[in-house]
Amino acid sequence: MIPRHFQITIALALVAILISGIVIIRMTHKEEAMVEQAADMAPSAPVAGQQEHIQILLAYDDDQALRWRPADVFLPADRSLRARETLRSVLAQYLQTPSPHPLARGADIKDVYFVSNDTMVIDTTAQFADGHPSGILLEELTLTSLIETLNANVPGINKVKFLVDGKERETLAGHADLMSFYQTNAVHEMAKEFE
Amino acid sequence: MRWNKAGFALVIFVLGWLVPISGATPEPQLTVYTAQASYSVSVLDRGGKPYISVTDLLSPLGASSPQLKNKEWRMELNKAEIRFSPDKDKATVRGHQADLGGRVLVEEGRVLVPLDAALPLLSRSLNTMVDFHRPARRIFIGSGFTRFYAQFKNEDQSSLVLNFSQPVKPDVSHDQDRTTLLFRKEPIVSETSKQLFGDGAIQSLIYSEDNGTASLTVTGNAALEITRSDDGKTITLQPEKPAVEAVAESTPQNEPATTEGQRHTPEFFVMIDPSHGGSDKGASFGSKLLEKDITLRLARELHKELEERGIASRLLRDGDIEIGLERRAEITNEQHAGIYVALHAGFPGHGVRVYSPLLNDPQQIAGRFLPWESAQSAALARSQAVAQAVTAEMRKKGLSVASMGVPLRPLNNMVGPAIAVELAPEGDGLQSLENQKRQNAVASAIASGIAQARIQMGARP
Repeated sequence: MIPRHFQITIALALVAILISGIVIIRMTHKEEAMVEQAADMAPSAPVAGQQEHIQILLAYDDDQALRWRPADVFLPADRSLRARETLRSVLAQYLQTPSPHPLARGADIKDVYFVSNDTMVIDTTAQFADGHPSGILLEELTLTSLIETLNANVPGINKVKFLVDGKERETLAGHADLMSFYQTNAVHEMAKEFE
Repeated sequence: MRWNKAGFALVIFVLGWLVPISGATPEPQLTVYTAQASYSVSVLDRGGKPYISVTDLLSPLGASSPQLKNKEWRMELNKAEIRFSPDKDKATVRGHQADLGGRVLVEEGRVLVPLDAALPLLSRSLNTMVDFHRPARRIFIGSGFTRFYAQFKNEDQSSLVLNFSQPVKPDVSHDQDRTTLLFRKEPIVSETSKQLFGDGAIQSLIYSEDNGTASLTVTGNAALEITRSDDGKTITLQPEKPAVEAVAESTPQNEPATTEGQRHTPEFFVMIDPSHGGSDKGASFGSKLLEKDITLRLARELHKELEERGIASRLLRDGDIEIGLERRAEITNEQHAGIYVALHAGFPGHGVRVYSPLLNDPQQIAGRFLPWESAQSAALARSQAVAQAVTAEMRKKGLSVASMGVPLRPLNNMVGPAIAVELAPEGDGLQSLENQKRQNAVASAIASGIAQARIQMGARP
């Protein structure tokens, strides 16, 4: 016969082990989530340049509209880098929580290339297209806000084409055309319809 | 006496066989039409469900015989391997699973699949457009349809001239005041099911499909005689003449029945494109509601609405099949659609959005040969007119609507007028996308807008 006080001690010890196990598992998960979040929010390599007060055109899904908003962005003198940082400043707004126009985590501009003085190719991450919500208006709002913001802050660009992870893709998420070169003046006219 | 009984029994036995044969309904069959030929496949009843043999379905297209390997039946067609497992409701085509809509049965080495499996098996293995008219059991591979238009003449003697895009040889039968042309092998299709011509000798033309065949039935108050001409591409029906008069007026057989006034102008029709399909689901609204399903339902509704207004229309897909954007444009351009309407459903917001094409290179000058990316150049103004007319009709019906130009595929690749219509959820939630009343209203407004635009464009009635 095991004494009663010994039984209680063992039961308490088992409960303590169980609770500490649960706490350890929760802490591990929390740690992982924090690491993941930190990775997502990891600042990109510091950009040499001056902070500028620019206007960016943002999509607002609730209103189905585009609106100009001020933003303070570090913009380098180099034209390509300036274009990339300008585009990233738009995506940064969409990746916030809450977002006026939510995009998938990991949506980013990998690089931009000037094919000629007035023609630019924008290479996006795979997540930018793979995780983009599908719909004509949603997709057009994204592309229009990016191109129009570029148009306003990096002068002299007449044609823009998007790549996804270095490759051509037919559409952004089933609708908006990614095969053609976008004429910035045509996009400017289209943007007026949304403003 | 014994012989009498035996004879009587024999008569009863023979009658027992003959009666069902004479009154038998035709065996259910599926007809498959290809660009080269057409063939029929017997439809079997298995537990109340229609089944077909995969060998009967695929062998005429060049498929190998099914071979049993590792408990799987394997065939090859168009360099695609097709695998069936007995009692499973999925097959593997080109490494991807295809839903067959029922279990695979194997009977004495014959692999049987549900009738509905014909569409995924053919479309995935052949990688081409397959159109399945399910109720009539007719399958069209590719776009080699035979179309026709009817020309009714009410002159001294009324006549009905049927002009077909390909030579036809129908079985003709007469039953009192109706003459029926039955097409067993010809891939005849029509978007108009009934045309009325008044109450004279020729009163109506009815198109119908059933059991793997199509038929045209002409009714009137007189017996009709039939003349074939133009190498079988034209059939003329007119009231029979008295024998003497007929001999006096007879014309040489080789003389074409068409007159100078008849011209083979292409039939105006609207190409309705239910966007997405197959593995391309489009936007998702919750776990079950998909854009590809909403667009197909809306497309069928629009087809009905257009038909009610006497406007022919075709569905670019009438099943859950995948067609690429380039192919959608190719089909529409090849068939010379009068107007192309792409149907979409998507977030955000509410109401309906009507889009007209916006060319990325507006400086492009329309010439004889157009770049694919700006094939729309020559039709841009007409597309905008159609979008305006549809938008106006939606406003008239009290629908919340926005209209804009966007660079959208495949609108910019269309050589004719093209628009896209996107249905957004209403305030009361996602179910509004499925709401029959709302779909009816939207389809009706689109059809009315197209009817208005068609008048403006001066299309042939």
